Amino acid sequence: MIVRILTEGQFNLPGVHIDTLNEIDNKLVEVVESEDQEGFDRYLKEMLDLVRENAIPVGVDELVESDLVLPEPDITLVEAEELFTGEGLLPD
Amino acid sequence: MGVLTRMSTVVRAKMNRLLDKAEDPRETLDFAYEKQMEMLRNVKRGVVEMVTTKRRLELQASKVQETVVKLEEQARQAMAAGREDLARLALQRKQASVYELDGLDQQVANLELEQEKLTKAEQRLKAKVDSFRTRKEIVKAQYNAAQAQVRIGSALSGISEEMGDVQLSIERAETKTESLRARAGAIDELAEAGVLEDFSGREDQLGKELAQITASQNVEDELEGLRAGLHSDQKKSLTDGGQQ
Repeated sequence: MIVRILTEGQFNLPGVHIDTLNEIDNKLVEVVESEDQEGFDRYLKEMLDLVRENAIPVGVDELVESDLVLPEPDITLVEAEELFTGEGLLPD
Repeated sequence: MGVLTRMSTVVRAKMNRLLDKAEDPRETLDFAYEKQMEMLRNVKRGVVEMVTTKRRLELQASKVQETVVKLEEQARQAMAAGREDLARLALQRKQASVYELDGLDQQVANLELEQEKLTKAEQRLKAKVDSFRTRKEIVKAQYNAAQAQVRIGSALSGISEEMGDVQLSIERAETKTESLRARAGAIDELAEAGVLEDFSGREDQLGKELAQITASQNVEDELEGLRAGLHSDQKKSLTDGGQQ
């Protein structure tokens, strides 16, 4: 499974981690909704670390589309909120 | 819908906007390559803009630093001339400048980080574009092979996604640079007017008030220091005078 971390590039993540990734994703949604900054920082790091630690980077000269895209490591809670309202990150 | 799904949608929307597919796949390839080169130029321009903004902030920081030294000297002179009121005023202004300096240093550090990220993005994209160019020529030579078309389709999506990623990085960097430039402009205006007293950058009222309390405490401490220095100087000159 090809996963991209924005601004970091693509990784090949073994399929066994997908469930964990989804669990963290659900938690992330909750903390964004409740504007829980501490939880947001924690789960975002957990999510990115899961990929960084278990996946193999895709070669720079390989041209493949990702199955999943993860946010950049320094995305802010405000930016994540905008992501859900569909504004800000989708400018014309 | 989770963060992952949203993020994927955003990037996909970006890449679709970057790449309207042409009728003839061979045209699509050339068009895509043109777009890639344009994107590479955009990243380079982004980096140059950041460097310019950073230089400007550094220049401002050194000016503010000079102001701090000057105000310190003025406070000392005012105190020696028995004008504690003027000395206090000078020290208050100095405090504001010190805050400004802290802010500027922080911003320069932020810009450096951002610049580093953008440079890395440029290198990554450059490698992909090189690889795309090679593949493009191969596919164009064997256009009729159905398999080749499938292969180029996935390569196209792959590189468009990279471009979507880079485009997002450029936009973020631009937003950050823009706000720093606006702030730099505001500082210039304030400095020209000779006032940096409003602790700009601290937007909330509470933060402002707390900063002012710390600042006025610092001012009193420094005044006390000047007073003590002055007294010991006077004592010293008295003793020296006695010895002659």
